[in-house]
Amino acid sequence: MKETRKQPGTCIPWQQKLKELGEIKGDEELIRKIWQDNDALAYIYIWHCLLSF
Amino acid sequence: MDMEALYQQRLKRYVTAMRNEKPDMIPIRPFAAEFTAKYAGYTCQQVTQDYNLAFDAACKTAGDFDFDAVVGNMVYVWSGLTQAIGLKYYAIPGIEIGENIGFQYLEPGEEEAFMKPDEYDQLIEDPTGFLFNVWLPRVSNDVCEIGSPSTYRNNLSFLKGGMAMMNYFSSFPGQGQRLRTECGAVSAISGILKAPMDILADKLRGYLGLCNDLCERPEKVLAACESLMPHLAHVALSGADPDKNVPIAIWMHRGCVPFISHDNFDKIYWATLKPIIEEIWSRGHQTLFYAEGKWDAHLEAFATLPEKSIVFHIDQSDVFKVHEVLGEKFAISGGIPNALLSYGSQDEVRGYCKKVIDCVAQDGGYIMDASAIIQNDASIENIKAMTDFVREYGVY
Repeated sequence: MKETRKQPGTCIPWQQKLKELGEIKGDEELIRKIWQDNDALAYIYIWHCLLSF
Repeated sequence: MDMEALYQQRLKRYVTAMRNEKPDMIPIRPFAAEFTAKYAGYTCQQVTQDYNLAFDAACKTAGDFDFDAVVGNMVYVWSGLTQAIGLKYYAIPGIEIGENIGFQYLEPGEEEAFMKPDEYDQLIEDPTGFLFNVWLPRVSNDVCEIGSPSTYRNNLSFLKGGMAMMNYFSSFPGQGQRLRTECGAVSAISGILKAPMDILADKLRGYLGLCNDLCERPEKVLAACESLMPHLAHVALSGADPDKNVPIAIWMHRGCVPFISHDNFDKIYWATLKPIIEEIWSRGHQTLFYAEGKWDAHLEAFATLPEKSIVFHIDQSDVFKVHEVLGEKFAISGGIPNALLSYGSQDEVRGYCKKVIDCVAQDGGYIMDASAIIQNDASIENIKAMTDFVREYGVY
């Protein structure tokens, strides 16, 4: 399959969010993980609207 | 036999057959939808509107019939969810249609298609963004267009829709466990896939719009299908069985001749579906080709897939030809005409089942099912005749 600029599983990429947050004073990895977990739910929502309902 | 032992026996039977091998007997895996409501004493409205009633109906049917594997809720489109989002493309039993008619998908006219012909580049550039920003406002009565003032109903659509979807999806593991412990039945499938071109026809351009585009802008259609591929593969794998026992189901709609040409099948439909199937197989998951309609013109294409990577379900396809072309590499399911199950006699049902078993199931690799999803027109006596006959005649 061709590479896609917009990655599957993502609505707002972490790198984009990270720029908005600026300097991270604590555990960046934890923030990234939770951001991506919730972002993936939004992704699943719209794709299941299309595919399943 | 206790329920867990029965479950394990049925799981082994079902998985063995799907791997195109010979189990102890032919597994029975009816995709029973509104039929379960009829059998359990509910209306279509009840099982469509209240998924807990649909779960009850599925359990009662699986338990009373000798089914090896079933879908937790084959009346899959829970109208509580579609109403929460405000989706406008369903006719819901008890609202737009009678309470005992199965839900209907309302494909818009060509001029009202949810995606316009000049919007391919937007979809290709960012499919997820297109769905949120362009498609959803058009398919929902409540979601506002980007740039227009937001509304109470817009905000509620996302909140209620998101929570409803979470509720619904979170309930399926419990339903699977209930089928296992109460009925000894296996959850037949896990995960959903559709072909990129089918998605374009079904939910974006409409079939007529797609046909125009295949003539006027085929390069855009191909690029759009390519842009959808990684997303469809991702969603399919995200719902796949972690134990890799049961397959991801692909619901195949209008990708076959004569809906499209041989050339469009080869260069667009199959060219953008086959890599997804191969990717799924490379991760250890089978795909169930729920090949709605007649796919005889494309069996040779399917035969190029890796051995055991799919289970081919027969709807209108020629059961004998399917067995001849695909039977060496893949298991086969279905092929018992729904009209026969609705209007035939029990003897006719038994006779047809015998013909199919004699033709395709002699060496294993066959799963008994109707041709299409079983709705409430099916005769309870005929479903029982099919089940009982296969249990008696389908022992290896």
